[in-house]
Amino acid sequence: MKVYDTILKKPWPYWVGGILLGVLNVILLLETKTSWGISTGFLGWGVYILEKFGFDPSKWHYFVMNRNTFEIGETFVKNHYTILILAMILGSLISTLLASEFNWKRIKNKKQLFFGLLGGILMGYGARLSHGCNIGAYFSAIPSFSLHGWIFGIFMFVGAWIGCKILLKFIL
Amino acid sequence: MAEVKLDCMYETCPIPLLKAHKKLQTMKVGDILIMETNHTCSITNVIEWAKKQGYDADYIEIREGEWEIYIEKVK
Repeated sequence: MKVYDTILKKPWPYWVGGILLGVLNVILLLETKTSWGISTGFLGWGVYILEKFGFDPSKWHYFVMNRNTFEIGETFVKNHYTILILAMILGSLISTLLASEFNWKRIKNKKQLFFGLLGGILMGYGARLSHGCNIGAYFSAIPSFSLHGWIFGIFMFVGAWIGCKILLKFIL
Repeated sequence: MAEVKLDCMYETCPIPLLKAHKKLQTMKVGDILIMETNHTCSITNVIEWAKKQGYDADYIEIREGEWEIYIEKVK
């Protein structure tokens, strides 16, 4: 069916995705009084795992300095970020299944694993230094008229440019 | 006219496109680049990009969920 293919199988143009993300973020803000962000949720999951291993991250300098990272009454796992993350994964899964594109990906080799992990660590660390990732500190910050979103944006593009150069020259 | 194989299995966007870009620079006019991939989004973006560069490009499914993309360096 042609309509089914256009809507569910083919990639949407960037402007359609952009408008939908914008509208959905406004609805989210209206309904929950919080804008979209996810990396803080992953931080919480990581910290929760460390707590299970006997560490006490809530005494760490970062959490002492950033007491409002999680709202009052929320724990490292039971918080609104966790719901947003799970919803995002579930939504992605549904759209992948509808497009019949679901596929388990194998790890190609040790090099891919190493650079994948290294990239993940750098992204996670960077997201903490800037108090959010490209969603929380950029996508949600700019419509809130926050200056830090623009600063984040400029350095994100600079970083992506440098990253591409390194990727092309040394990694590929 | 040489054929050059490029293994892009288990790699996601934009790695296959960047690999193709790098490989094509070392190839001569008339050579054909054959990319193996199992990532459908790569087929779309590699072929779209190759045609924009003025190359001939097409693909076939060689096994279930595995494709070969052919790019001829025509200029």
